[in-house]
Amino acid sequence: MALNAGSGHIASAFSCVEILVSLYHGGILRVKPGNAAYRKRDRFVLSKGHAAIALYAVLADLGFFPNSRLDKFGKEGGHLGVHPELNTPGIDVLSGSLGHGLSVGSGLALGARLDNEKYVTVVLLGDGECQEGMIWEAALFSSQHNLNNLIVVIDYNKLSATDFLKKGLSAQALSKKWEAFGWQSIIVEGNSFEKLLPVLRGVHGRSSSKPLAIIAVTTKGKGVSFMENKPIWHYRIPSGNELKIALKEMFLTEKDVNYWKGDLS
Amino acid sequence: MGSLAKGMRDAFFDTLFSIALKNKDILLLTADIGAICHDKFRKSLPKQYVNVGIAEQNMVGLSAGLALTGKKIYIYSIIPFLAMRCYEQIRVDICCMDLPVKIIGIGAGFDYSTLGPTHHGTEDIALMRFLPNLTIYSPSDNLCASEIARKSSREDGPAYIRLDRTGYPPIYRDSGKINMRLGFSVVKGGKDLCIIASGNMVYTALKVSGRLSEHSASCGVIDLFKLKPINAEKLICAIKGLSHVVVLEEHCLSGGIGENIAALFLSQMGQCPRLKLLGIPDRFCAEYGKRESLRRACNLDVGSISNIILEWIKK
Repeated sequence: MALNAGSGHIASAFSCVEILVSLYHGGILRVKPGNAAYRKRDRFVLSKGHAAIALYAVLADLGFFPNSRLDKFGKEGGHLGVHPELNTPGIDVLSGSLGHGLSVGSGLALGARLDNEKYVTVVLLGDGECQEGMIWEAALFSSQHNLNNLIVVIDYNKLSATDFLKKGLSAQALSKKWEAFGWQSIIVEGNSFEKLLPVLRGVHGRSSSKPLAIIAVTTKGKGVSFMENKPIWHYRIPSGNELKIALKEMFLTEKDVNYWKGDLS
Repeated sequence: MGSLAKGMRDAFFDTLFSIALKNKDILLLTADIGAICHDKFRKSLPKQYVNVGIAEQNMVGLSAGLALTGKKIYIYSIIPFLAMRCYEQIRVDICCMDLPVKIIGIGAGFDYSTLGPTHHGTEDIALMRFLPNLTIYSPSDNLCASEIARKSSREDGPAYIRLDRTGYPPIYRDSGKINMRLGFSVVKGGKDLCIIASGNMVYTALKVSGRLSEHSASCGVIDLFKLKPINAEKLICAIKGLSHVVVLEEHCLSGGIGENIAALFLSQMGQCPRLKLLGIPDRFCAEYGKRESLRRACNLDVGSISNIILEWIKK
């Protein structure tokens, strides 16, 4: 998609692929691909909206919309943009501006509570995104209102768009911060299905009255050696030799990127 | 004059309360800004009232999430903390998703006269006007505020509603005169000129009209209570044949309804009347005292406005 459109945040997407696949393919989120607007569905908010390219692939794979839609990602006449919008089946909340998702997610969770609905709301935040003040307004609100049907997954890849967050918070310190705001908090390896799934399986019918923050320790650009932990790859499309290496490392061939009509050389 | 004690805020929320009693999907959210008229929500409808705390940006996002679950949300705070502090949240979370969230800004113009520029609501209409999907209302009195409460509860999209705290004498005796479909009402006819005013300035405009009549000038008054979209075609019909039109607002001149109406007239009328735009000049108002004193400092009191208009029409 990103190659085809010449646009997209590949490294941010690779960082959270395992989280998204666990949530959707792992059967954590109770959703109906054939009936995306199903009222009792679990809600998902991709607050780090720039990773939508990964979410689209997951949603298409589950049948929310045909794969052919992916071909027109970011293109004239297409429906999928770099950031998700409500006109895409399976997208519950428009996002793209960082910091908003937890507040909107809190509203979804409060709405479920008021209607006595059992669905949960899962919000995927970036670690860099946690620099936004609005996140902490929402964190305080949702714990004060005991929204235990609200789950945050933080894609803790230690990078923001242009820099490392090494001067920021360690995973442990971040975890303590959520706890100080009245949340239950768990740190887990975020690029591992084996580690993620057991934690995510507990999101429904939680006994704790607190909302839950899962700090998923990930690698930005996971799976492509030259993209991993390199700020420059936040918003960059590989070409030429870079692309050849990337495809090889992902066990793909030119044939696998069959929607791509560009030149590999 | 019982209506003097109660302001348009009370009228708005009293009506909203009676609607909310019959519709559990209507919720009122406040960012720790109190009002006595909110007490009955708090007491009788505790599940439909949330004090979000001093976190306006979160309140906007929260309202969007609630609206996505099928609720109709009213959010409430002082104008600058809502319309200005939360501009991008309103743009993205409410307007981009076209959700039924009604943004209630309290403290129109210099309503919070003694609290200084941080609390003055003087640039909100300009900001809100730019946002697609957003309807804007600015009631002129209690009855008008009630009608807007009723109308907004039936409309699906987002709205911005600008209210006063304080009570003023009524403009309307019965709500039949308030044409919600049109978005404005001719509250007084005039042969020579007309003042198009919004909000509490309609009352000022009526007084100015009285003053002008002492100088043999027949001045009509139009209450423009729906500021977006403006029914330009009908408004142009209403001022047809007049040589002079004044637009009066308790809002900065930049981006206000004066500019908006000037653009509409220029682009849609073959021959424009002469226009005078009256509002707050390009500065913060650091004067204190009653609302009237601040208006006087900006030449927006009855005397100043009347003199400006008299000199203007003589030319």
